[in-house]
Amino acid sequence: MAEQQEKNTPRDFRRRHRGRMAQIPIYLGKMLRMFLYQNDWKVLPMAALISGMLGMVLRGRMFVTMEGTLMGAFAIACVCIWNGCFNAIQVICRERDVIKREHRAGMHISSYVAAHMLYQAFICIAQTVITVYVTQMTGVNYNSKGVVTNVFIIEFCVTVFLITYAADLMALWLSALCRSTTTAMTVMPFILIFQLIFSGGMFSLPAWAEPLSALTISASGMDVISAQADRNNRPSNTVANLIDRMEDSEISGEVTLGQVLDLVVDEDMRAQKVAGDATVGDIADLAAESPGVQKILNTSYPYTIRLGDLIDIAGKKNVKDMLEKKAAEAGYSPDYERTALNIIGYWFRLLGFIIVFAVLTVITLEFIDKDKR
Amino acid sequence: MQFHPVGFILQIVFGSSGIVMSLFMLLYMAGCWKILEKSGLKGWWALIPGAREYQLSRCAGREPEGRVLSVVTVLQWLSEIISSTPPILRRFNVERLDLTVMFFGVIGLTLTLIIFIYFIQVYSGLCEVYQTRKRWIVLWVVAQWLPALLWGFCKKYQPSWKVADMNAELAKLDFGGSVSSIEDGLTINLKERSTMEFFQKKILLRDIHMNIPKGHMVLLLGGSGAGKTTFLNAVNGYEKADAEVTLNSRNMYKQYKQMQYDVGVVPQTEMMRGKDTVLYTMLDAAKLRLPQWVSAADRRKRVEEVMDLFGLRPVQNNLVEKLSGGQKKRLSISLEFISNPSLLILDEPDSGLDGVMARELFEQLRKIADTGRIVIVITHTPDRVIDLFDDVIVLAKDSAQTGRLVFYGSVDGAREFFDCSRMEQIVKRINSVEEGGDGLADEFVMKYAEVQNG
Repeated sequence: MAEQQEKNTPRDFRRRHRGRMAQIPIYLGKMLRMFLYQNDWKVLPMAALISGMLGMVLRGRMFVTMEGTLMGAFAIACVCIWNGCFNAIQVICRERDVIKREHRAGMHISSYVAAHMLYQAFICIAQTVITVYVTQMTGVNYNSKGVVTNVFIIEFCVTVFLITYAADLMALWLSALCRSTTTAMTVMPFILIFQLIFSGGMFSLPAWAEPLSALTISASGMDVISAQADRNNRPSNTVANLIDRMEDSEISGEVTLGQVLDLVVDEDMRAQKVAGDATVGDIADLAAESPGVQKILNTSYPYTIRLGDLIDIAGKKNVKDMLEKKAAEAGYSPDYERTALNIIGYWFRLLGFIIVFAVLTVITLEFIDKDKR
Repeated sequence: MQFHPVGFILQIVFGSSGIVMSLFMLLYMAGCWKILEKSGLKGWWALIPGAREYQLSRCAGREPEGRVLSVVTVLQWLSEIISSTPPILRRFNVERLDLTVMFFGVIGLTLTLIIFIYFIQVYSGLCEVYQTRKRWIVLWVVAQWLPALLWGFCKKYQPSWKVADMNAELAKLDFGGSVSSIEDGLTINLKERSTMEFFQKKILLRDIHMNIPKGHMVLLLGGSGAGKTTFLNAVNGYEKADAEVTLNSRNMYKQYKQMQYDVGVVPQTEMMRGKDTVLYTMLDAAKLRLPQWVSAADRRKRVEEVMDLFGLRPVQNNLVEKLSGGQKKRLSISLEFISNPSLLILDEPDSGLDGVMARELFEQLRKIADTGRIVIVITHTPDRVIDLFDDVIVLAKDSAQTGRLVFYGSVDGAREFFDCSRMEQIVKRINSVEEGGDGLADEFVMKYAEVQNG
């Protein structure tokens, strides 16, 4: 071997050692070993536990009502971001010294990051499968038709994977930025809070915060889940539920006999002939001209009525259906249109996050040699 | 809020819009001007916010705190200007003016608190330098203009040392000289290794010239902060210096990528993944360090050879974290040794090892050197293994805090030069008085320069 080494002149030295692509399998193998030895596998049962809790809360709500879908979209996006962040937040900073040594020995940062990306993709895929499977097992119904592939559950898995993976690479970048695990674990809650607050999921954001919202994975994640879940066409039960709860409330006021007659007597009744050509309306108009009748019609009577009784007059189901439909119409947003174009657009946005964070990680780590001793 | 152009200009200059406050600021700046001059610095720095605080901290011997203080002061100054001048924001059509003003106001308040803490540290340092009681800090905090004027203008208050003294010493100790490159061995001609710290050039090493023939095992001695690791990083090209370093007639700086695998650097700490096995760690290192044309079988053979050499074969399937301190050191060295380097540099390989294990390790290094390689070792306990070394390099921190070459030559030559029998005594002689040494670094730098210049 030494003789062979001698034959190679310095000019072709660069070609003689492993290049960027050839270094990726070295690190990928190392990471897969770490998966077993360094207990990195723990993130998988953790994902199952979280998904179980999530499924129990979402069953019967997600994909059923507009509110349940909104809550579900927020909760699923949060779970994906949580999983992604925990996968990667410590992976680089915990071995920063080792990276520095290996970089010095010829390791390419881009190969190292690429290996991490492949390894993290493997973990995120596993977590996606676990999350969707466990939530389905606990009662969340994914049995609808997809718009991109015809199979909804596959599309939903793509979304869950992309959100988890984007969060994972964001955490990977943070891990590259932080010089110790303590710093990384201190920074992470701030990032999570930022993601949750600026997702716009729990409350509507002021206008100035909207550009910030566009920078969060959570907002894009929520939007794509809402679009996939067809949030626009789900009934909104908030108003109906509110009315339900107010059934026993009493409404008091004063009403005149004239107002009651106006309400009760409709055009058909007025048109009914009583004698000859004279109709009920004619007789009523004639009577209304009389001062005595006018006095009676304008006399006020106090009344008290239960809201439930009032609804019963119009029919409870009719009122509920009408309220759910009208409230859903009011909550319509073109952002949640269930179209293939819309959903793929969101996927590309999440893909954009992934690419940006990967590039940022490489750039950040390229400066690793500048660390102060 | 009404906009006053005069107040605004005063604010930009003094950082406060009130006329009385501006007057106090003016007095403070005048005092600082004189304080800076007393420490040998340019007085006009006192006029520039941020720079003033930094230079003051230099006078107080609190430079690191000064850097933070200076940056935070500038930020606070900017946030104060923005938050108190809505017309400026209006001119730039800033939406939600109230929110922006409030935001910068909160930021300014937070920064003021940080400044307060750092100022106390700097004033505390000033009290030490001016040898006054610490109670002066209270006056500095309450009315900083008053002590600034007193200490600046009264002759009674004089600093115990000056910043400028260091620069004078630096010039005094300057000397040149270089050695011609040798064919078989390492030639180092390092003029200067400097770094920019806070817009200021800081010289870490200067004037180190030597030839190390191949097959030599060299001890690198020096007190803490003398620049030993910086020197080794400059030698192997990892942190480039104003230098020319050749190994076997090949320029290390110009051909860094090509020679990367011909130099092995073993760091002080292990820097290995504890959860991987010894064998896989070695195999991965071999994949990275050996040329791509080496077959998997040859690679495996080389790994086994190195593991046998360093006695790691019995633990090849163990996790790295389960190894003993000595085994970890040997593994760390063997990772670098896989590529058969001509130059092996080791930073304190014996730290954490007992005498017997350290001796065994150094004997192995001696054997490596005997095969025609150059081995440079930093150790803080050299006397137990000094018989294994050929040469000694001694680095010391001079009065300007720059790493200098105090000696390079044989072990016996070092004993004679420093007039002491043990290597650890050499370190004591060159270390500063504050570090418990004799503080003779400058004298030995001069002495070595005289020897070199004949």
